[in-house]
Amino acid sequence: MIDLSLDFLLSVIAILFIVLCGFMMYIFYQRQSEVRFKKSRDIYLKDYSQLWYEYLFNNEIFSVVLIPRGKPQVQAIEMIFSSYLKNITNDDMRWKMKNFSNQYLKTFYENDLMNKRWSIRMNALYRIADLQLDELLDACKKLETTKYSKEEFFQLLKIYSLFQPELFIQKIKVPNANYSESEYRRLFVLLEEDTFMRFFDEFTSWSMSIQFAVIDTAAAKKNMKYIEKLEQLLTNENDEIKIRALKGLFEIGVIENINPYIPFVTSHLWEVRLMVGKIFKYVPLSYSYPYLEQLLQDENWWVRSQAAKTIAEDRDGLEKLKEFISYSTDHYAVEMAQETIMRKQGTR
Amino acid sequence: MKILHYSMLFFGGVIVFYMLFVIVSYCTMLIIAMLDLRKRYRLDPSEYDDAHIDAFYSKPVSLLVPAYNEEVGVVDTVYSLLNLRYPQTEIIIINDGSTDNTLQTVIKHFQMKPVNKIIKTNIHTKQVIQIYESEIYMNCILVDKVNGGKADALNVGINVSQYPYFCSIDGDSILDEKALLRVMKPIVLSDGEVIAAGGNIRIANGAKMQLGSIYDMRLPSNYLVIMQIIEYLRAFLMGRIALSKFNLVLIISGAFSVFSKKWAVEAGGYSTNIIGEDMELVVNIHRLIKEKKENKRIEFVPDPVCWTEAPHTLSVLRNQRRRWHQGMFESLWKHKKMTLNPRYGLIGMVSFPYFWLVECLGPVVELGGYIYIIIAFFLGQIYYEMAILLLLLFVIYGVIFSVASVLFEAWSMNTYPRKRDLLRMITLAFTEIFWYRPLTLLWRCEGLIRFVRRKSEWGNMKRVGIAEKEKSV
Repeated sequence: MIDLSLDFLLSVIAILFIVLCGFMMYIFYQRQSEVRFKKSRDIYLKDYSQLWYEYLFNNEIFSVVLIPRGKPQVQAIEMIFSSYLKNITNDDMRWKMKNFSNQYLKTFYENDLMNKRWSIRMNALYRIADLQLDELLDACKKLETTKYSKEEFFQLLKIYSLFQPELFIQKIKVPNANYSESEYRRLFVLLEEDTFMRFFDEFTSWSMSIQFAVIDTAAAKKNMKYIEKLEQLLTNENDEIKIRALKGLFEIGVIENINPYIPFVTSHLWEVRLMVGKIFKYVPLSYSYPYLEQLLQDENWWVRSQAAKTIAEDRDGLEKLKEFISYSTDHYAVEMAQETIMRKQGTR
Repeated sequence: MKILHYSMLFFGGVIVFYMLFVIVSYCTMLIIAMLDLRKRYRLDPSEYDDAHIDAFYSKPVSLLVPAYNEEVGVVDTVYSLLNLRYPQTEIIIINDGSTDNTLQTVIKHFQMKPVNKIIKTNIHTKQVIQIYESEIYMNCILVDKVNGGKADALNVGINVSQYPYFCSIDGDSILDEKALLRVMKPIVLSDGEVIAAGGNIRIANGAKMQLGSIYDMRLPSNYLVIMQIIEYLRAFLMGRIALSKFNLVLIISGAFSVFSKKWAVEAGGYSTNIIGEDMELVVNIHRLIKEKKENKRIEFVPDPVCWTEAPHTLSVLRNQRRRWHQGMFESLWKHKKMTLNPRYGLIGMVSFPYFWLVECLGPVVELGGYIYIIIAFFLGQIYYEMAILLLLLFVIYGVIFSVASVLFEAWSMNTYPRKRDLLRMITLAFTEIFWYRPLTLLWRCEGLIRFVRRKSEWGNMKRVGIAEKEKSV
């Protein structure tokens, strides 16, 4: 038995060594090709980066030498475009990039979309969205007929949101497409005003992640048009929705009427009380002080801390806090007021 | 004579079966890791990075740097954190009563000024002496405290932190600029389902570095360090990735890991009475998840890289390995009731038995194998062949897996791009079973003995600073 095992083990080891030797040779070969690829890409970058700049920003005539011949040159163009897209907002530049991509890069990405390798398909989907290759919309739709991954479908949604918002709304409703809030935010932030507003209109029909992402996106856009929509959500049954709506209203930073917020001062949730404490920053202290004083004596440390901070931020805030210290019997609230005064006065 | 014969056959059989079991386990994990990395091969990661560099898509993180006598490395570590591409962070350096100039170095270098800061005590810790804030870098805080060990220092950091996630980084480690962004990826994309994530740790000895950024990666000249590099690659490919896929990770390195503050606090923070505080926290959180019946995960993220300084002398390495093994034993022993307990799901049924059998008892059986080979060669006859059989299994286990790991890493990540470096690693991998492996086995067994004798002491590694300074060793 041992003789047999030894022979068997020796054969296994020999086979494994041959496989590993082959793998090593492949790695060396691959590294060589990568060096050649990079060399070719870098030559293009060196020779034509200036020409691209002239064409994109100085209205020079497009030169045919810029048309890519092969993958290394496509990658060089991607690098040039990506650096401009990340750093410059210019409609004319974007239009030129889009036209060029639709004309000369389309075939490359169309082939990549049909590639067996998931990562290559994903890279192609990234580029289609970044370079706004709307002529590949049909090819993207065709991808849906194959077995696609969750990540691919997300990129497809992004592409639809850019080129065909109606289709985007239709597709996002598909129940098997569940993404994180952060991913939904990435989709919503790019939407046109009208399309985004539709998410508020049918608010309750969306999944929780979408509802949260809609509120957060509205807050990030800091658009006063959303104030009314967010205030409507303050009556929502879900506590998290209420907290986020308050947070969104705080981010937008315009409070015209204090009354809708007063009931939240006595909320059973400390997060809600904390958010109200923050929002009162946008209300004159003469209106908000009684409520802030109540929050300063809250049982929760964060709420007390925020209330003290909000009071201290007002022009008369420090005086109010000193006054409070003189008559209050709440040990914790007095301590918080004292520490806030110390910090504010810069006794660091 | 008969007793000797039967015991030789028995022990030989046990060791051979054990080795076969370990080889099969490692093979399975290697294949899972390969498939995972192959899927992502050539995927452009910049798309995610660029999208999530905005605070709107990410979550704020407090970076905790516990430092005890780290005057050589702490400044570079903080610079690497200042270089991080991440939208919202605060850096909290915790000086754990250092006896060298760590405190003065940090105060001087980052222009720290004392401040009065309100601290919410989530976890009970040793006394905080003073808090400082940098005048030149926003959100850079130094906490000076009474010495209480690394775990206590981290707990102070958790108390001082203001963000919902914290990341622990060793005072001698350097983070890649995108490391935090990528280690946070599973947390951000899972809407809080992932509550802790650990990054990939690499050895920085030999790298060229400036102000906390590594700009040229070269293999160091010290053979002991190269062997550790190979060992890290093996651990990464044959363990972490596969275990993470099934939420079975029990260890995410304290040198670079992110935790949800809420969960870490609820789990009691870092345990101060145990050596392996990082493993202990992970196990405690797993326990909490199961007890609360929540659907939460702890993940290992293969891509993010934290560079750390590896021991370059045998004595320091011995100390480190002894401590690691002792720490692992302590943690497993403390939670022994979770082993094979269906209440704890796969953690109890797979992870714990795996760690007991392969990680903890492995060194004892393997060392037994080495001793067996030596005895068998002297006894001759049938044992001679058994010894060769064992030796061949050691070749598969030690050499083949190491070479495969080195090659696979070269293919997927290409950390050491020079052909010469790759060949050197492969050549050294062939020598592993003759010197490095037996030595580490011996040290790990020492760790086991120390655990049994309940011996505990802090192993303070003598550092020369990462990268370039290695030349002076």
